[in-house]
Amino acid sequence: MTWQLTKKHNFDAVFDSQKLFRLLLEAISNPTRIVDIKEIADKLFGSYPELLAVAMTLLDNETGFSIYGSDSLSADIAALTLARREAVSAADFIFVCDKSGIQEAIEKAKYGTLAQPHKSATVVIQSDGAQAGSLTLSGPGIAGAVEIPVSQAVKDALACRAAQNYEYPQGIDLIFVSDKGELMAVPRLVKVVE
Amino acid sequence: MNSNYNYAFLDEGSKREIRRSVLKAVAIPGYQVPFGSRELPIGRGWGTGGIQLTLSLIGPADTLKVIDQGSDESVNAVNIKKFVGLCTDVETTNDTRKATLIQTRHRIPEIPLRNGQILVLQVPIPEPLRIVEPCEEATKKMHAEKDYAPMWLQLYESLVKYKKVTIPTEYPCMVEGRYMMNPSPIPKFDNPKLHRAECLYLFGAGREKKIYAIPPHTEVVSLAFDDIPFERESFAGKKCRLCGSENTYLDEIFDPQTGERFFQCSDTSYCQEVRRHVSE
Ligand SMILES: [Zn+2]
Repeated sequence: MTWQLTKKHNFDAVFDSQKLFRLLLEAISNPTRIVDIKEIADKLFGSYPELLAVAMTLLDNETGFSIYGSDSLSADIAALTLARREAVSAADFIFVCDKSGIQEAIEKAKYGTLAQPHKSATVVIQSDGAQAGSLTLSGPGIAGAVEIPVSQAVKDALACRAAQNYEYPQGIDLIFVSDKGELMAVPRLVKVVE
Repeated sequence: MNSNYNYAFLDEGSKREIRRSVLKAVAIPGYQVPFGSRELPIGRGWGTGGIQLTLSLIGPADTLKVIDQGSDESVNAVNIKKFVGLCTDVETTNDTRKATLIQTRHRIPEIPLRNGQILVLQVPIPEPLRIVEPCEEATKKMHAEKDYAPMWLQLYESLVKYKKVTIPTEYPCMVEGRYMMNPSPIPKFDNPKLHRAECLYLFGAGREKKIYAIPPHTEVVSLAFDDIPFERESFAGKKCRLCGSENTYLDEIFDPQTGERFFQCSDTSYCQEVRRHVSE
Protein backbone atom coordinates (compact mmCIF):
# COMPACT_ATOMS: atom_id res chain seq x y z
CA MET A 1 0.00 0.00 0.00
CA THR A 2 1.36 3.40 -0.92
CA TRP A 3 0.42 6.67 0.64
CA GLN A 4 -0.31 9.59 -1.55
CA LEU A 5 2.24 12.23 -0.62
CA THR A 6 0.99 15.09 -2.71
CA LYS A 7 -2.45 16.60 -2.49
CA LYS A 8 -4.24 16.32 -5.78
CA HIS A 9 -6.94 18.40 -7.29
CA ASN A 10 -8.67 18.39 -10.63
CA PHE A 11 -9.41 22.11 -10.94
CA ASP A 12 -8.84 22.94 -14.60
CA ALA A 13 -6.61 26.02 -14.85
CA VAL A 14 -8.22 27.08 -18.13
CA PHE A 15 -11.88 26.05 -18.02
CA ASP A 16 -12.67 26.09 -14.30
CA SER A 17 -10.93 29.47 -13.96
CA GLN A 18 -13.05 30.83 -16.80
CA LYS A 19 -16.25 29.46 -15.33
CA LEU A 20 -15.51 30.75 -11.84
CA PHE A 21 -14.46 34.14 -13.19
CA ARG A 22 -17.79 34.51 -14.97
CA LEU A 23 -19.64 33.59 -11.76
CA LEU A 24 -17.55 36.17 -9.88
CA LEU A 25 -18.35 38.73 -12.57
CA GLU A 26 -22.05 37.92 -12.34
CA ALA A 27 -21.92 38.27 -8.56
CA ILE A 28 -20.05 41.59 -8.50
CA SER A 29 -22.27 42.99 -11.28
CA ASN A 30 -25.40 41.94 -9.38
CA PRO A 31 -24.70 42.35 -5.66
CA THR A 32 -27.36 40.57 -3.55
CA ARG A 33 -27.32 37.69 -6.05
CA ILE A 34 -25.86 34.44 -4.76
CA VAL A 35 -24.02 32.34 -7.34
CA ASP A 36 -23.23 28.67 -6.91
CA ILE A 37 -19.54 27.69 -7.10
CA LYS A 38 -19.90 24.29 -5.40
CA GLU A 39 -19.19 22.21 -8.50
CA ILE A 40 -15.86 24.01 -8.97
CA ALA A 41 -14.91 24.17 -5.28
CA ASP A 42 -15.51 20.42 -5.01
CA LYS A 43 -12.57 19.88 -7.33
CA LEU A 44 -10.21 21.30 -4.70
CA PHE A 45 -8.94 19.99 -1.40
CA GLY A 46 -8.48 21.36 2.11
CA SER A 47 -10.77 23.03 4.61
CA TYR A 48 -11.46 26.09 2.46
CA PRO A 49 -11.99 24.89 -1.12
CA GLU A 50 -14.22 27.90 -1.94
CA LEU A 51 -11.51 30.40 -0.94
CA LEU A 52 -8.91 28.32 -2.75
CA ALA A 53 -11.05 28.28 -5.90
CA VAL A 54 -11.26 32.09 -5.89
CA ALA A 55 -7.48 32.27 -5.36
CA MET A 56 -6.82 29.84 -8.22
CA THR A 57 -8.92 32.01 -10.52
CA LEU A 58 -7.52 35.44 -9.71
CA LEU A 59 -4.05 35.12 -8.17
CA ASP A 60 -0.63 34.61 -9.70
CA ASN A 61 2.93 35.84 -9.27
CA GLU A 62 1.83 39.40 -10.05
CA THR A 63 -0.36 39.56 -6.94
CA GLY A 64 0.25 39.61 -3.19
CA PHE A 65 -2.04 38.01 -0.61
CA SER A 66 -2.54 37.70 3.09
CA ILE A 67 -4.56 35.25 5.16
CA TYR A 68 -6.38 35.29 8.47
CA GLY A 69 -6.94 31.94 10.11
CA SER A 70 -5.31 29.13 8.14
CA ASP A 71 -1.63 28.38 7.62
CA SER A 72 -2.45 25.44 5.39
CA LEU A 73 -4.59 27.57 3.07
CA SER A 74 -1.76 30.10 2.93
CA ALA A 75 0.69 27.36 1.95
CA ASP A 76 -1.70 25.92 -0.66
CA ILE A 77 -2.35 29.31 -2.28
CA ALA A 78 1.37 30.13 -2.40
CA ALA A 79 2.21 26.74 -3.90
CA LEU A 80 -0.64 26.56 -6.42
CA THR A 81 -0.81 30.16 -7.64
CA LEU A 82 2.79 31.37 -7.04
CA ALA A 83 1.33 34.55 -5.53
CA ARG A 84 3.55 36.15 -2.89
CA ARG A 85 2.66 36.44 0.78
CA GLU A 86 2.34 40.08 1.82
CA ALA A 87 1.67 42.10 4.94
CA VAL A 88 -2.09 42.67 5.24
CA SER A 89 -1.70 46.38 4.49
CA ALA A 90 0.04 45.64 1.17
CA ALA A 91 -2.02 42.65 0.01
CA ASP A 92 -4.11 42.77 -3.17
CA PHE A 93 -6.23 39.91 -1.83
CA ILE A 94 -6.97 39.16 1.81
CA PHE A 95 -8.55 35.82 2.66
CA VAL A 96 -10.39 35.63 5.95
CA CYS A 97 -11.16 32.08 7.08
CA ASP A 98 -12.99 32.95 10.25
CA LYS A 99 -15.13 35.91 11.20
CA SER A 100 -12.76 36.72 14.11
CA GLY A 101 -10.36 38.09 11.48
CA ILE A 102 -12.82 40.34 9.68
CA GLN A 103 -12.34 43.55 11.63
CA GLU A 104 -8.55 43.60 11.52
CA ALA A 105 -8.47 42.56 7.86
CA ILE A 106 -10.77 45.40 6.85
CA GLU A 107 -9.10 48.00 9.05
CA LYS A 108 -5.68 47.19 7.61
CA ALA A 109 -6.66 46.59 3.99
CA LYS A 110 -5.29 49.03 1.42
CA TYR A 111 -8.08 51.11 -0.09
CA GLY A 112 -6.40 52.77 -3.06
CA THR A 113 -6.02 56.49 -3.71
CA LEU A 114 -8.31 59.05 -5.33
CA ALA A 115 -6.12 58.86 -8.44
CA GLN A 116 -5.68 55.07 -8.36
CA PRO A 117 -8.69 53.58 -6.59
CA HIS A 118 -8.05 50.19 -8.24
CA LYS A 119 -4.95 49.77 -6.08
CA SER A 120 -7.14 48.53 -3.28
CA ALA A 121 -7.63 45.16 -1.65
CA THR A 122 -10.32 42.61 -2.37
CA VAL A 123 -11.26 40.91 0.88
CA VAL A 124 -12.58 37.36 0.47
CA ILE A 125 -14.40 36.13 3.55
CA GLN A 126 -15.51 32.65 4.56
CA SER A 127 -18.94 32.78 6.10
CA ASP A 128 -20.63 29.92 7.94
CA GLY A 129 -23.72 30.48 5.84
CA ALA A 130 -26.06 30.45 8.84
CA GLN A 131 -28.65 33.19 8.58
CA ALA A 132 -28.28 35.95 11.18
CA GLY A 133 -30.97 38.34 10.07
CA SER A 134 -31.35 40.36 6.91
CA LEU A 135 -30.00 43.54 5.35
CA THR A 136 -31.29 45.87 2.67
CA LEU A 137 -28.62 46.78 0.12
CA SER A 138 -28.57 49.48 -2.53
CA GLY A 139 -26.11 50.69 -5.16
CA PRO A 140 -24.94 49.99 -8.72
CA GLY A 141 -25.97 46.51 -9.84
CA ILE A 142 -29.08 46.56 -7.65
CA ALA A 143 -32.51 47.65 -8.89
CA GLY A 144 -33.56 50.07 -6.16
CA ALA A 145 -33.02 48.43 -2.78
CA VAL A 146 -33.14 44.69 -2.15
CA GLU A 147 -33.47 42.91 1.18
CA ILE A 148 -31.53 39.68 1.53
CA PRO A 149 -30.89 37.19 4.33
CA VAL A 150 -27.29 37.45 5.53
CA SER A 151 -24.86 35.62 7.82
CA GLN A 152 -23.12 37.20 10.80
CA ALA A 153 -19.91 37.46 8.75
CA VAL A 154 -21.65 39.58 6.10
CA LYS A 155 -23.21 41.79 8.76
CA ASP A 156 -19.90 42.28 10.59
CA ALA A 157 -17.92 42.96 7.43
CA LEU A 158 -20.37 45.51 6.02
CA ALA A 159 -20.61 47.34 9.36
CA CYS A 160 -16.84 47.40 9.70
CA ARG A 161 -16.35 48.61 6.13
CA ALA A 162 -18.92 51.39 6.56
CA ALA A 163 -17.08 52.51 9.72
CA GLN A 164 -13.93 53.18 7.67
CA ASN A 165 -15.70 56.10 5.94
CA TYR A 166 -13.61 55.83 2.79
CA GLU A 167 -13.88 58.72 0.42
CA TYR A 168 -15.16 57.15 -2.82
CA PRO A 169 -13.66 56.05 -5.25
CA GLN A 170 -11.34 54.76 -2.55
CA GLY A 171 -12.62 51.67 -0.80
CA ILE A 172 -12.45 47.89 -0.69
CA ASP A 173 -14.52 45.23 -2.40
CA LEU A 174 -15.88 42.25 -0.49
CA ILE A 175 -16.53 38.69 -1.62
CA PHE A 176 -18.24 36.16 0.65
CA VAL A 177 -18.22 32.40 0.24
CA SER A 178 -19.92 29.71 2.29
CA ASP A 179 -19.07 26.03 2.69
CA LYS A 180 -22.25 25.25 0.77
CA GLY A 181 -20.56 26.76 -2.29
CA GLU A 182 -22.46 30.04 -2.25
CA LEU A 183 -20.66 33.19 -3.38
CA MET A 184 -21.79 36.79 -3.09
CA ALA A 185 -19.95 40.06 -3.75
CA VAL A 186 -20.50 43.50 -2.27
CA PRO A 187 -18.40 46.07 -4.17
CA ARG A 188 -17.47 49.39 -2.58
CA LEU A 189 -20.42 51.48 -3.80
CA VAL A 190 -23.05 49.11 -2.42
CA LYS A 191 -24.35 50.28 0.94
CA VAL A 192 -26.66 49.02 3.63
CA VAL A 193 -29.81 51.14 3.75
CA GLU A 194 -32.04 51.40 6.81
CA MET B 1 -10.19 24.33 -32.90
CA ASN B 2 -6.56 24.97 -33.73
CA SER B 3 -4.64 23.24 -30.94
CA ASN B 4 -1.45 25.19 -31.57
CA TYR B 5 -3.03 27.97 -29.56
CA ASN B 6 -4.07 28.18 -25.94
CA TYR B 7 -7.84 28.16 -25.52
CA ALA B 8 -9.05 31.67 -26.40
CA PHE B 9 -5.56 32.49 -27.69
CA LEU B 10 -4.32 34.54 -24.73
CA ASP B 11 -2.10 32.88 -22.13
CA GLU B 12 -3.73 32.35 -18.74
CA GLY B 13 -1.61 35.06 -17.08
CA SER B 14 -2.88 37.68 -19.53
CA LYS B 15 -6.47 36.56 -19.02
CA ARG B 16 -6.08 36.70 -15.24
CA GLU B 17 -4.74 40.24 -15.35
CA ILE B 18 -7.61 41.37 -17.58
CA ARG B 19 -10.11 39.53 -15.36
CA ARG B 20 -8.79 41.26 -12.23
CA SER B 21 -9.07 44.61 -14.03
CA VAL B 22 -12.64 43.81 -15.13
CA LEU B 23 -13.74 43.10 -11.55
CA LYS B 24 -12.20 46.40 -10.41
CA ALA B 25 -13.84 48.23 -13.32
CA VAL B 26 -17.28 46.89 -12.31
CA ALA B 27 -16.65 47.89 -8.68
CA ILE B 28 -15.74 51.47 -9.73
CA PRO B 29 -18.20 52.20 -12.58
CA GLY B 30 -16.83 54.58 -15.22
CA TYR B 31 -13.26 54.55 -13.88
CA GLN B 32 -10.57 53.57 -16.39
CA VAL B 33 -8.59 50.66 -14.97
CA PRO B 34 -5.15 50.23 -16.58
CA PHE B 35 -4.11 46.79 -17.81
CA GLY B 36 -1.12 45.33 -19.66
CA SER B 37 -2.46 45.14 -23.20
CA ARG B 38 -1.12 42.25 -25.31
CA GLU B 39 -0.08 42.16 -28.93
CA LEU B 40 -2.57 40.22 -31.03
CA PRO B 41 -2.05 38.76 -34.51
CA ILE B 42 -4.70 41.01 -36.02
CA GLY B 43 -4.74 44.19 -37.97
CA ARG B 44 -4.82 47.67 -36.55
CA GLY B 45 -8.20 49.27 -36.13
CA TRP B 46 -9.80 45.98 -35.19
CA GLY B 47 -10.18 47.02 -31.62
CA THR B 48 -7.70 44.85 -29.76
CA GLY B 49 -9.05 46.10 -26.42
CA GLY B 50 -12.47 44.67 -27.17
CA ILE B 51 -11.04 41.40 -28.47
CA GLN B 52 -8.83 40.94 -25.41
CA LEU B 53 -11.88 41.42 -23.20
CA THR B 54 -13.88 38.92 -25.24
CA LEU B 55 -11.05 36.37 -25.13
CA SER B 56 -10.71 36.74 -21.36
CA LEU B 57 -14.45 36.32 -20.81
CA ILE B 58 -15.39 33.62 -23.26
CA GLY B 59 -15.98 29.96 -22.44
CA PRO B 60 -17.65 26.87 -23.93
CA ALA B 61 -21.08 27.88 -22.58
CA ASP B 62 -21.08 31.16 -24.53
CA THR B 63 -22.79 32.16 -27.75
CA LEU B 64 -20.96 35.03 -29.44
CA LYS B 65 -22.30 37.84 -31.61
CA VAL B 66 -20.00 40.40 -33.22
CA ILE B 67 -21.22 43.60 -34.82
CA ASP B 68 -19.45 46.48 -36.48
CA GLN B 69 -21.43 49.67 -37.11
CA GLY B 70 -24.56 47.65 -36.41
CA SER B 71 -23.82 44.94 -38.97
CA ASP B 72 -23.04 41.27 -38.28
CA GLU B 73 -21.82 40.79 -41.83
CA SER B 74 -19.18 43.50 -42.15
CA VAL B 75 -15.65 42.34 -42.92
CA ASN B 76 -14.43 43.31 -39.44
CA ALA B 77 -17.24 41.52 -37.63
CA VAL B 78 -16.85 38.37 -39.72
CA ASN B 79 -13.08 38.30 -39.23
CA ILE B 80 -13.33 38.72 -35.47
CA LYS B 81 -15.93 35.92 -35.32
CA LYS B 82 -13.61 33.71 -37.36
CA PHE B 83 -10.61 34.48 -35.16
CA VAL B 84 -12.44 33.85 -31.89
CA GLY B 85 -14.08 30.75 -33.37
CA LEU B 86 -10.70 29.38 -34.44
CA CYS B 87 -9.36 29.46 -30.89
CA THR B 88 -12.50 28.61 -28.91
CA ASP B 89 -15.04 26.67 -31.00
CA VAL B 90 -17.87 28.70 -29.44
CA GLU B 91 -21.18 28.99 -31.20
CA THR B 92 -21.77 32.29 -33.00
CA THR B 93 -25.05 33.97 -33.81
CA ASN B 94 -26.54 37.05 -35.44
CA ASP B 95 -29.54 36.88 -33.12
CA THR B 96 -29.13 39.44 -30.34
CA ARG B 97 -31.41 37.43 -28.04
CA LYS B 98 -29.41 34.22 -28.40
CA ALA B 99 -26.02 35.83 -27.66
CA THR B 100 -24.50 35.69 -24.16
CA LEU B 101 -21.53 37.78 -25.24
CA ILE B 102 -21.70 40.55 -27.83
CA GLN B 103 -18.67 42.38 -29.12
CA THR B 104 -19.45 45.64 -30.85
CA ARG B 105 -18.07 48.77 -32.37
CA HIS B 106 -20.12 51.96 -32.84
CA ARG B 107 -23.56 50.61 -31.85
CA ILE B 108 -25.63 49.13 -29.05
CA PRO B 109 -28.30 46.75 -30.45
CA GLU B 110 -31.88 48.00 -30.75
CA ILE B 111 -33.31 45.06 -28.77
CA PRO B 112 -32.91 45.83 -25.05
CA LEU B 113 -30.27 43.51 -23.61
CA ARG B 114 -31.22 41.35 -20.64
CA ASN B 115 -29.48 40.61 -17.39
CA GLY B 116 -26.76 38.04 -17.91
CA GLN B 117 -25.78 39.36 -21.35
CA ILE B 118 -22.46 41.17 -21.67
CA LEU B 119 -21.81 43.83 -24.29
CA VAL B 120 -18.11 44.42 -25.01
CA LEU B 121 -17.45 47.76 -26.69
CA GLN B 122 -14.28 48.55 -28.59
CA VAL B 123 -12.87 51.94 -27.66
CA PRO B 124 -10.20 53.82 -29.64
CA ILE B 125 -9.80 56.76 -27.24
CA PRO B 126 -11.10 56.05 -23.74
CA GLU B 127 -10.37 59.46 -22.23
CA PRO B 128 -13.39 61.81 -22.43
CA LEU B 129 -11.26 64.75 -21.26
CA ARG B 130 -8.75 64.38 -24.09
CA ILE B 131 -10.52 67.06 -26.14
CA VAL B 132 -9.80 69.64 -23.45
CA GLU B 133 -6.53 68.28 -22.04
CA PRO B 134 -3.89 66.44 -24.08
CA CYS B 135 -1.74 65.31 -21.14
CA GLU B 136 -2.53 61.93 -19.55
CA GLU B 137 -1.13 62.88 -16.14
CA ALA B 138 -3.34 65.97 -16.10
CA THR B 139 -6.52 64.09 -17.04
CA LYS B 140 -5.78 61.49 -14.34
CA LYS B 141 -5.56 64.31 -11.83
CA MET B 142 -8.81 65.81 -13.10
CA HIS B 143 -10.60 62.48 -12.57
CA ALA B 144 -9.04 62.11 -9.12
CA GLU B 145 -10.29 65.56 -8.12
CA LYS B 146 -13.55 65.29 -10.09
CA ASP B 147 -12.47 68.49 -11.78
CA TYR B 148 -14.64 68.51 -14.88
CA ALA B 149 -15.02 72.28 -15.21
CA PRO B 150 -12.94 72.53 -18.42
CA MET B 151 -15.21 69.99 -20.10
CA TRP B 152 -18.38 71.83 -19.05
CA LEU B 153 -16.85 75.05 -20.33
CA GLN B 154 -16.11 73.44 -23.68
CA LEU B 155 -19.73 72.25 -23.95
CA TYR B 156 -21.01 75.68 -23.00
CA GLU B 157 -18.81 77.43 -25.55
CA SER B 158 -19.97 75.14 -28.34
CA LEU B 159 -23.57 75.91 -27.34
CA VAL B 160 -22.95 79.62 -27.51
CA LYS B 161 -21.12 79.40 -30.81
CA TYR B 162 -23.17 76.83 -32.67
CA LYS B 163 -26.43 76.90 -30.67
CA LYS B 164 -26.00 73.17 -30.04
CA VAL B 165 -23.51 70.69 -28.65
CA THR B 166 -21.26 69.74 -31.53
CA ILE B 167 -20.26 66.27 -30.35
CA PRO B 168 -21.90 63.67 -32.65
CA THR B 169 -20.45 60.49 -31.11
CA GLU B 170 -18.43 59.71 -27.99
CA TYR B 171 -20.83 62.05 -26.23
CA PRO B 172 -19.63 62.04 -22.60
CA CYS B 173 -21.73 60.98 -19.64
CA MET B 174 -21.47 61.03 -15.86
CA VAL B 175 -21.51 57.66 -14.15
CA GLU B 176 -23.08 57.46 -10.68
CA GLY B 177 -22.47 61.20 -10.37
CA ARG B 178 -18.71 60.62 -10.01
CA TYR B 179 -16.84 59.76 -13.20
CA MET B 180 -17.03 61.42 -16.56
CA MET B 181 -16.92 58.63 -19.13
CA ASN B 182 -16.53 58.22 -22.87
CA PRO B 183 -19.26 55.79 -24.02
CA SER B 184 -17.08 54.87 -27.07
CA PRO B 185 -18.01 55.99 -30.61
CA ILE B 186 -21.69 55.10 -30.33
CA PRO B 187 -24.20 57.67 -31.61
CA LYS B 188 -25.92 59.84 -29.00
CA PHE B 189 -28.99 57.78 -29.92
CA ASP B 190 -27.50 54.88 -27.92
CA ASN B 191 -26.38 56.83 -24.83
CA PRO B 192 -29.69 56.41 -22.96
CA LYS B 193 -29.37 52.62 -23.31
CA LEU B 194 -26.48 52.75 -20.82
CA HIS B 195 -28.65 54.17 -18.05
CA ARG B 196 -30.03 51.63 -15.55
CA ALA B 197 -29.70 48.80 -18.05
CA GLU B 198 -30.20 45.12 -17.28
CA CYS B 199 -26.98 43.99 -18.95
CA LEU B 200 -23.29 44.55 -18.17
CA TYR B 201 -21.29 46.91 -20.40
CA LEU B 202 -17.52 46.46 -20.65
CA PHE B 203 -15.28 48.87 -22.56
CA GLY B 204 -11.82 47.92 -23.82
CA ALA B 205 -9.14 50.22 -25.22
CA GLY B 206 -6.15 48.19 -26.45
CA ARG B 207 -3.76 50.90 -27.52
CA GLU B 208 -4.36 53.02 -24.42
CA LYS B 209 -4.52 49.92 -22.21
CA LYS B 210 -7.69 50.76 -20.31
CA ILE B 211 -10.78 48.83 -19.25
CA TYR B 212 -13.93 50.35 -17.82
CA ALA B 213 -17.43 49.17 -17.07
CA ILE B 214 -21.05 49.99 -16.42
CA PRO B 215 -22.80 47.34 -14.33
CA PRO B 216 -26.58 46.83 -14.55
CA HIS B 217 -28.81 49.37 -12.76
CA THR B 218 -26.18 52.11 -12.81
CA GLU B 219 -26.91 55.78 -13.24
CA VAL B 220 -25.47 57.07 -16.51
CA VAL B 221 -26.41 60.63 -17.43
CA SER B 222 -25.36 62.30 -20.69
CA LEU B 223 -23.94 65.79 -20.09
CA ALA B 224 -26.50 68.56 -20.38
CA PHE B 225 -27.43 71.91 -18.90
CA ASP B 226 -30.61 72.59 -16.97
CA ASP B 227 -32.02 74.79 -19.71
CA ILE B 228 -30.59 72.81 -22.63
CA PRO B 229 -31.43 69.12 -22.27
CA PHE B 230 -29.50 66.28 -23.89
CA GLU B 231 -30.92 65.36 -27.28
CA ARG B 232 -30.44 62.23 -29.33
CA GLU B 233 -30.29 62.30 -33.12
CA SER B 234 -33.79 62.74 -34.43
CA PHE B 235 -35.13 60.71 -37.32
CA ALA B 236 -38.56 62.33 -37.19
CA GLY B 237 -40.48 61.78 -40.41
CA LYS B 238 -37.97 59.19 -41.64
CA LYS B 239 -38.24 55.44 -41.64
CA CYS B 240 -36.29 52.37 -42.70
CA ARG B 241 -36.91 51.65 -46.38
CA LEU B 242 -36.55 47.91 -45.74
CA CYS B 243 -38.60 47.25 -42.60
CA GLY B 244 -40.44 50.52 -42.07
CA SER B 245 -39.18 51.04 -38.49
CA GLU B 246 -39.50 54.61 -37.26
CA ASN B 247 -37.85 54.13 -33.89
CA THR B 248 -34.40 52.84 -34.80
CA TYR B 249 -31.06 54.46 -35.56
CA LEU B 250 -31.01 54.98 -39.33
CA ASP B 251 -28.06 55.10 -41.71
CA GLU B 252 -28.43 57.49 -44.62
CA ILE B 253 -27.45 55.84 -47.87
CA PHE B 254 -26.75 57.65 -51.10
CA ASP B 255 -27.11 55.91 -54.43
CA PRO B 256 -24.67 57.67 -56.83
CA GLN B 257 -26.35 55.96 -59.83
CA THR B 258 -29.80 57.39 -59.24
CA GLY B 259 -28.83 60.30 -57.00
CA GLU B 260 -31.42 58.97 -54.55
CA ARG B 261 -31.04 59.22 -50.77
CA PHE B 262 -32.71 56.74 -48.47
CA PHE B 263 -32.57 55.46 -44.91
CA GLN B 264 -32.22 52.03 -43.43
CA CYS B 265 -31.69 50.49 -39.98
CA SER B 266 -28.07 50.44 -38.88
CA ASP B 267 -28.81 47.34 -36.75
CA THR B 268 -29.09 44.80 -39.59
CA SER B 269 -30.14 41.82 -37.47
CA TYR B 270 -32.97 43.85 -35.93
CA CYS B 271 -34.07 45.01 -39.37
CA GLN B 272 -34.16 41.42 -40.66
CA GLU B 273 -36.15 40.32 -37.65
CA VAL B 274 -38.77 43.01 -38.19
CA ARG B 275 -39.07 42.02 -41.84
CA ARG B 276 -39.46 38.34 -40.89
CA HIS B 277 -42.30 39.16 -38.51
CA VAL B 278 -44.01 41.33 -41.09
CA SER B 279 -43.89 38.60 -43.76
CA GLU B 280 -45.18 35.89 -41.39
ZN1 LIG C 1 -35.07 48.34 -40.86
